[in-house]
Amino acid sequence: MDMTTIFGDYTAFAPMLILMVSALLLPGVQMLTKRRTVTWAFAFVMTIVAMAVNIIMLTGDFTGSSLGLVEYDGFTGLMNALFLAVLFLAVLVSNASVETTRLHVGAYYALMIGATVGMMFVASSSDLLTIFVGVELTSISSYALVALKRNDARSAEAAVKYVIIGGMSTALTLYGISMLYGLTGTTVIADIANNLTEMNWMVAIAFISMIAGYGFKIAAGPFHMWAPDVYEGAATPVSMFLATGSKKMGLAVFIQIFMVLFAAGTTCADIIGEEVQYLFAIIAAITMTVGNIVAIAQNNIKRMLAYSSIAQAGYILIILAVMNEYALTAGLFHMITHVFMKGGAFLIVGALICVGLGEKISDYKGLAKRAPFLAFAMMLFLFSLAGIPPLAGFTSKFFLFSSAIGGVDGVTSQWVWLAFVAILNSAISLYYYARVVKAMYIEKGTTTEKVKIPAAFMVAIVICVLAVIVLGIFPDAVFELCEGAAAVVMG
Amino acid sequence: MLILIPLIGAIITLFMGGSKQKYAKYVAAVFTLITLVLTLFMMVNYFEDYSVLGENYAWIQTSLIQISFALEVDGLSILMVFLTALLSLLVVIFSVHDADEDRPNYFHALVLAMEVGLMGVYLAADYFLFYVMWEVTLIPMYFMISWYGGPRRHYAAIKFFIYTHVASLVMLIGIFAMGFQAGTMNGGVVDFSFATINSLMPMTSEAFQALVFALLFFGFAVKMPAVPFHTWLPDAHTEAPTGGSVLLAGVMLKMGSYGIIRVCLEALPLGAEYWQWVIIGIAILSMIYGAYGCIAQTDLKKMVAFSSISHMGMVMLGIGCLTEAGIMFAIFQMFAHGLITGILFMVCGMTGHKVGTREIPLLGGLAGKMPMYALFMMIGFMASLGLPGLVGFWGEFPLIFAFYEFLVEQDLLWMILFCLLSLMLTAGYYLWAMQRTLFGPETTKIDLTHAHDVSKCEGIALAVLVALVAVFGVWPDAALQFIEPYTEWIIGVI
Repeated sequence: MDMTTIFGDYTAFAPMLILMVSALLLPGVQMLTKRRTVTWAFAFVMTIVAMAVNIIMLTGDFTGSSLGLVEYDGFTGLMNALFLAVLFLAVLVSNASVETTRLHVGAYYALMIGATVGMMFVASSSDLLTIFVGVELTSISSYALVALKRNDARSAEAAVKYVIIGGMSTALTLYGISMLYGLTGTTVIADIANNLTEMNWMVAIAFISMIAGYGFKIAAGPFHMWAPDVYEGAATPVSMFLATGSKKMGLAVFIQIFMVLFAAGTTCADIIGEEVQYLFAIIAAITMTVGNIVAIAQNNIKRMLAYSSIAQAGYILIILAVMNEYALTAGLFHMITHVFMKGGAFLIVGALICVGLGEKISDYKGLAKRAPFLAFAMMLFLFSLAGIPPLAGFTSKFFLFSSAIGGVDGVTSQWVWLAFVAILNSAISLYYYARVVKAMYIEKGTTTEKVKIPAAFMVAIVICVLAVIVLGIFPDAVFELCEGAAAVVMG
Repeated sequence: MLILIPLIGAIITLFMGGSKQKYAKYVAAVFTLITLVLTLFMMVNYFEDYSVLGENYAWIQTSLIQISFALEVDGLSILMVFLTALLSLLVVIFSVHDADEDRPNYFHALVLAMEVGLMGVYLAADYFLFYVMWEVTLIPMYFMISWYGGPRRHYAAIKFFIYTHVASLVMLIGIFAMGFQAGTMNGGVVDFSFATINSLMPMTSEAFQALVFALLFFGFAVKMPAVPFHTWLPDAHTEAPTGGSVLLAGVMLKMGSYGIIRVCLEALPLGAEYWQWVIIGIAILSMIYGAYGCIAQTDLKKMVAFSSISHMGMVMLGIGCLTEAGIMFAIFQMFAHGLITGILFMVCGMTGHKVGTREIPLLGGLAGKMPMYALFMMIGFMASLGLPGLVGFWGEFPLIFAFYEFLVEQDLLWMILFCLLSLMLTAGYYLWAMQRTLFGPETTKIDLTHAHDVSKCEGIALAVLVALVAVFGVWPDAALQFIEPYTEWIIGVI
């Protein structure tokens, strides 16, 4: 099906357009019907429509631009698909989750969809200003989403922390962007890449403040402190949404800006490329190490997953140190597998909260007896995160870590140390994932009463399980999409 | 096929909970038996023309990376495949009563899952698949120790898991390096198959080979395990259930030495030459330290665990010679040790189960009460210390002879003393342990009224192993014929 016959000049904009319209309509739907489930169904159907449109465009190799603002290509399509998958999972379970029963659901879904539009906007822009706008749209929606649990003190604390740190990072990035604009007279990334011909302290400050600013968004070390509090305080579907979706947006920003700026042959790469690569390598190493080591000490499973998310962002940052097409392919693939394994783990936590189980790891004792399938699924997700074959997390880590050792051009010794750090981290992470598995399977619980979770959660978890297994064993198709997307970004 | 059948079996037994769980053992036995029969067919087939048998399916094929689901069997792997199939079946038979006590369906599912992983490791002809299977063996073993193990099982299981996982990750880096290096030499396509990598790698520079060899060797040496990376083994063995120990020592440790020959020697011959003395040093250290460790143990099973370290050290010594005889008998010793440790760990397991303790100082005079048990134990110990006529002899003495030849060439004959020392210690600790447990006055320190002799199923499993130990002891050629064409070929590579 050709989408241009329906959307005309706005085709590149189509998936976003559908979501935007539904986000605007959602509070009205809630007002008129006063029924939670109707509102949910509307949001859910619109998500599926947007996803279908995007998949048709992606598989049809659509490329084009709208309004001179939004561009759609293989990379955009892939990232859109990823963001929509996150939205799909989050919306799917939201109606069933007890954590959302007392919320204003019209606003809840509108904000979630709005945040997704922001992410997609980021993935479709090639201009610093539009990227900035997209990031802000996502951030502001997320602040409100976290704060929506009005009666919960933890939620309020998380939201305040999130707003303050988010505001600071916004200020930093804006500062960096304005400096770059002052130096080059443009905000189009590809033009900046070739207009920047001279190294001076202004360039350095501009890059540092942008890296720091967007580093906050992906919770890269040492800018990660907010993440565990926010994920712990927010409703679990929201935590899942933030940990898998909005973090990927931050990474997409890095890819969109820095991979283009420092692609081979730009003047920008000549003057500061190597320094920035090293900076990213150090940030990646710090991020994964801090994430993994602190995760060991956590007793709250949401916090543990939050720190493991930080570590995973660290792994993905390897692509910005290595900066070649193979690494980017592997990184994109890891971003996709991460959605399902981390998303699945958060979904199980959310589902168990619905049936009254706590968030402590000790609450999971004996879960294998109480809910064999859930325990098994959780084990799959955690082992996948740790990189145990033949699960998706192993396959994507295999490609990602290997990119630090070499590529199709042979072995490059420059980043081997980074691969070592990553692999040691991977081993550390096995320890805290295995703790949860041990609690579920080996330790005896206080009760053997069976657990029954809402059907919507079950569906979402089954989707994640299938994805984790299929992407692990048959990664071909998705990996090829990633290859295509990486080729687009690297020109 | 050999991978698929245990996999199906594992899935079926896994779901045989509740009232059906007492039938799990029959299902497991049938599936392991089918696998063994298929293996035997394959061996006969292989024997006819010595050709390399294999299957190959495209798996992950993109423009950058090519990974295939390739399986192959040759002279190096065929005996290991046989050992895996045999020991899996015997473990199922042996554990019939033990396992029935607690969730037998899970126990048998784990045995079958182990078989899947082990078969995969020995059959894989693609580095990606090899690594995947290598890691797949970890998970069932982890659960086997932590569900069915002794009192300190949680500690032992997690130690085993993390220790060997770290080692395999280091190995993975080595695999990456080889893959990419081969990719450049191959015109930009990264192909992880054994065929491509093992044919291109020997052409690389010595520095590169030495570096990659070190990474891979570390991964394999931890698995073997070689001193000083052995500490996970005694813990894992002491806590593991008997069936787990048999598979762990009988087949899983061989993954390490298999990997050294398959990967390190085939792909990186210059690296092997570069590190030759380090290999020999580690081998001698393992042999002697393992044997000393045995003397110090009071737990019968821990003693056998240390003896595994010592015997695997001998395998490494053979590999370290880099001569045809050395490698040939190293492979034979892997096979022989697999059969013998099977007996030893079954006997140890029975001691714990029937007598109630495995502490040697508490035991004594068991031969009167349990004659069959004593007989099996004696045969096991004798075979392990290298009594002529049993399979252990053909594992050990030709190895020492190969080392001797190697030393004559190097003009370092005094080093043979290390071997003699280790042999003396081995004979010493086995005889001493036997004397203290089996003979002398019947112990009064523990209650022996409930000690029964070998049961029927246990007897069958042990008798099969003893028969094989004896058959290969008088007719080692039966096994050597499989190995010989392979060693001839690999010596050409080196």
